[in-house]
Amino acid sequence: MKITKLFQRTVFGIIALFGLIGISTSVLSINAVDSHLSYEYQANSEGHARTIADASVDIILNRDLSSLQSLIDQFLKIQGIEYIYITNENGEFLAHTFVPGIPQSILDSDVSNTETVQRTIRGMGDFVEVASPILAGVAGTVHIGMDLESVSMKIQAAIGAQVYLIASVFLIGIFAAIWFVNFASKPIEQLQTYAVGLAKKESDDGNFAKLLERKDEAGDLARLFQYFSTVSDPEKLGKESDQPESSN
Amino acid sequence: MSKTRSNRTNLTSRRTVLKSLLAGSVVAPFAGRSLVAQEVFSEGVSDNQIVLGTSAAFSGPTRGLGIELYRGSTAYFTHVNEGGGLFGREIRQQLYDDSYQPDPAVTNTTQLMVEDDVFALFGYVGTPTVTRVLPLLKKFQDRKFMLMFPFTGAQPQREFPYGDFAFNLRASYRQETGGLVDNFVEIGRERIGVFYQADAYGRSGWAGVRAALSKYNLNMVGEATYRRGTKFTANLREQVEILKTSQPQAVICIGAYAACAAFLRDAVDGGLQVPIANLSFVGSENLLKLIEDSQENSEDYTKHLVNSQVVPSYTDDTLPGVIEYNEFMSRYNPAVPEKFDDDQYTTFDRSFVSLEGFLNAKLMTEILRRVGANPRRLDLEEAVFSIKDFDLGIGEPVSFDTNRRQGLDRVYYTVVEDGVFVPLRNWKGTFS
Repeated sequence: MKITKLFQRTVFGIIALFGLIGISTSVLSINAVDSHLSYEYQANSEGHARTIADASVDIILNRDLSSLQSLIDQFLKIQGIEYIYITNENGEFLAHTFVPGIPQSILDSDVSNTETVQRTIRGMGDFVEVASPILAGVAGTVHIGMDLESVSMKIQAAIGAQVYLIASVFLIGIFAAIWFVNFASKPIEQLQTYAVGLAKKESDDGNFAKLLERKDEAGDLARLFQYFSTVSDPEKLGKESDQPESSN
Repeated sequence: MSKTRSNRTNLTSRRTVLKSLLAGSVVAPFAGRSLVAQEVFSEGVSDNQIVLGTSAAFSGPTRGLGIELYRGSTAYFTHVNEGGGLFGREIRQQLYDDSYQPDPAVTNTTQLMVEDDVFALFGYVGTPTVTRVLPLLKKFQDRKFMLMFPFTGAQPQREFPYGDFAFNLRASYRQETGGLVDNFVEIGRERIGVFYQADAYGRSGWAGVRAALSKYNLNMVGEATYRRGTKFTANLREQVEILKTSQPQAVICIGAYAACAAFLRDAVDGGLQVPIANLSFVGSENLLKLIEDSQENSEDYTKHLVNSQVVPSYTDDTLPGVIEYNEFMSRYNPAVPEKFDDDQYTTFDRSFVSLEGFLNAKLMTEILRRVGANPRRLDLEEAVFSIKDFDLGIGEPVSFDTNRRQGLDRVYYTVVEDGVFVPLRNWKGTFS
């Protein structure tokens, strides 16, 4: 597809503009999706931790720890949750889901802390750990570890869908712009060919009848060129002296 | 009032007959019996049958437990049925496989209670499964379903809020772990580590060990876990290394046979040569078979084993109940249930698990006898409470009352001698 020199800058300008819009929209979208989903995953996990903490009170105070284990095992099926552990007020582990054992980094941590923390556990990966106190902390704490990789994968998938959409719109926009520019530049090319033909005295008006009939600026210019060609040519002047007037 | 009850019974009967004819739900396990589809069932009872519902592991790495428990029960029920049944009714088990997984156990139990409308739940296997099934018993408490003698020593079916919906025959895991800890501490092995299944069963045993040690102001020195469903081929050296660092003088395993056999193998190979105890749930014979089949010098491994049991040794021919068990197992040699038989499982002539199934069935039969000629679920609990000093033939009288819903308390300890688990008589001499 040949683009006239006149419109090349326009096309590049449009591409640059589309690119800018696309990139800025993508960045904004990625940022929004990332922060929104990260917040949502964390909020969900905090919700799960609170649910377990609320349900644990009765079990810890009145029932066997196997019921507590059964409870957390069911939460482990939720996507993104990689581990759960419950400690009592003395920091003793009452139930957990670790295999083959409780990681040393968790054994060494402050298990009464209820702040959200990021952890790297050797052999397991990177996690965001949320916590919720049981009975305001006097009966212990519930901790839930979310697999960062799994959460990242989910977020990346959501972002990927957004970027895919924006990129598709961008590409369609570029092709449409090129087509429109090409469409607009075609009469200019014809006009150029016509003008060159006139200058070389080789132009046949019959081949440019459509151009000469156009009601736009290209048609006006073609007729103007035709007029100048006529007035500058004494042979044609006698025959077509009244033509420019009739075109107006 | 009585009219209403009568109408309800008729409706239930008609519904059950229709269901039987349309879905064949009751027909399937009794294939080969003519005219079964025409039987009228109400609360799992017809003129010819009493149906007990079972969800257990009949496939997967723990299937040996479900199969052997069923075989033991079947030996006794077959004896009863061959003698004309109870009040002319045969005792039958409606079987479903849950592969020792909680979700299928819940689905199966819903089927048994809602669709199959069995008389009672019987022969269940496992803590993670039973723990999840218990809320269903509470949900349908108006229909008076009871969970009879599950093969688990966990606490949830022994205490509030679900204790009123179950009866247990066997001693609890607390009693088993408590006994093991007492004996280890007595012979000076106070540094005890725990290897356990990462689920409700493992936690139940873990809690039992923790409570038992706290009596002596001791803590467990180390712990390692494995995932339910771990096979014997799994590598458990990591768990062994975790426990080795705590330098235990004994390890108590709370698991099923495949994983516990793998742990024993890797522990001995890894230099952790201390007494390794297993609870009754492990399935002692299945464990022993895995070790013997895979290791040339199996004695090097089994000499470290001490398994607690909740029934006496099947080699103890001084006990009439054991003699009866041996006789019935020889006579009937129950097969793997046909619909679960893939020719991959080899049954055991005798096992602690099948003996427990046998005793469960013997007591269940007595209870059904006491429920009477017109069995209703409503009467089941009273019939159980009427059991006082009942002799199962194992030297331990069985009694129940409103405050006692567990029949036996005794724990037995066994070690391997000449390829067989035999009673352990001298802890100090064996493990000092």
